[in-house]
Amino acid sequence: MSAVIGVLLIVAATLAQAAVLPEFSIFGVQPNLLIVVLVAWMSVRGKQEALPLIVIAGFLQGLLDSEPLGLAMLALAPLIVMTEVREWKLVESDLLPAILLTVLATWAYEGVMLISLAVTGERVDWLNSLIDVLLPAAIANALLLLPVYGVMRLFRPELRPSPAFGA
Amino acid sequence: MHVRTRTWLSFVVIAGLLFMAGSRFGIFDPLENAVLVAVAPVESALQDATRPVADFVNNLTDINSLTNENRSLREENERLLEQLSQSREVEAENQQLQGLLGVRQSPDDTFVAASVFARDQTNTREAIAIDRGSSDGIREGMIVLTQQGSLIGSVSKVLDNYAWVTLITDVDSAVSAVVQESRAPGVVAGAADGSLEMEFVQETAEVSEGDFVLTSGLGGRYPQGEVIGRVVNVERTAQELFQSVRVEPLADLSRIERVLVLESFTPQEEPPP
Repeated sequence: MSAVIGVLLIVAATLAQAAVLPEFSIFGVQPNLLIVVLVAWMSVRGKQEALPLIVIAGFLQGLLDSEPLGLAMLALAPLIVMTEVREWKLVESDLLPAILLTVLATWAYEGVMLISLAVTGERVDWLNSLIDVLLPAAIANALLLLPVYGVMRLFRPELRPSPAFGA
Repeated sequence: MHVRTRTWLSFVVIAGLLFMAGSRFGIFDPLENAVLVAVAPVESALQDATRPVADFVNNLTDINSLTNENRSLREENERLLEQLSQSREVEAENQQLQGLLGVRQSPDDTFVAASVFARDQTNTREAIAIDRGSSDGIREGMIVLTQQGSLIGSVSKVLDNYAWVTLITDVDSAVSAVVQESRAPGVVAGAADGSLEMEFVQETAEVSEGDFVLTSGLGGRYPQGEVIGRVVNVERTAQELFQSVRVEPLADLSRIERVLVLESFTPQEEPPP
């Protein structure tokens, strides 16, 4: 059931990303709802459920954007590695690692997009892209994560009952 | 890294690269078109529903600049009304002269009107999706204007029923241009922050804030005389060959709803590198 909800969330996020998010601008950039939803889902539901969603999200976004199909998949691929980081459980809180992962995933995503531009022979102003795109996009996505994460916590699996003392 | 993670990563990277290779040859165009046929009405409805909210939120965060903009627009409106009355006189005189000299009028441009239903989802690209495609006569390279007639970009990808338009603010966009008043030539290019920069304007050229920038027609990719925008900032630095000229598009490219694709102009192919 949660897998179906996850897929529906990704479809909704992809549609909103194309139709709604461009209307809103934070620090001059468009937040990436797809990255935020994926990181929040990964934090709440874990690696097993997040992995297929990353692939689905990359494929769906590729169908709806102007880039070649497959580029969005590559740009979201670093999130697969980040599912490992989430499993380490370095701190008690899930939110702090989620914020950090959002920032890293944003940089990785925008970085892959910039590299693809450079590889296809298009001119890339790296310094200005860092100042005007990478930094504000990371902040915008981290801010967007807060309400999204709050909603995602509703989908958190029930905590297992603690074993009785002395058991 | 766990084996499972490595497997997923390898799968995604290989699939991504294969999809990109297939995409280059247009293998997935029918699939993309079919998906857009299904989701375009949903995206349009979502856009219409959220636009008032977005306008409200964006206006709240931008109230100071809106007040200033409103004031300058009032002044500009007054000035333009005055110019309009003068140009009507000139036009009437021009028509009389053309009639006397037997000059042939150029054929009227023909357009395909289209609605914008989505924008590119990345921050590194400036592109919009329109609801007209090859079945409506849209071809790659055709130029796209606002309803008021200012240039906004060119068609970069065409599907059967839809097309993607790369905006002039895209980092990959470069339009040969001239400053209307001084005829100073240059190239208007998109910057990383989504603004426009007029490059290669000679240091000695006379350019002032408020000047209009038009397409020059050089290279044949854009017709001559289409309005691109207005100069908003000029910086001259000693020992520099070129001035730094910042241009603002006439239209708010983040809020475009309807566009016109110029059907009657055939852009020339770019020469091979």
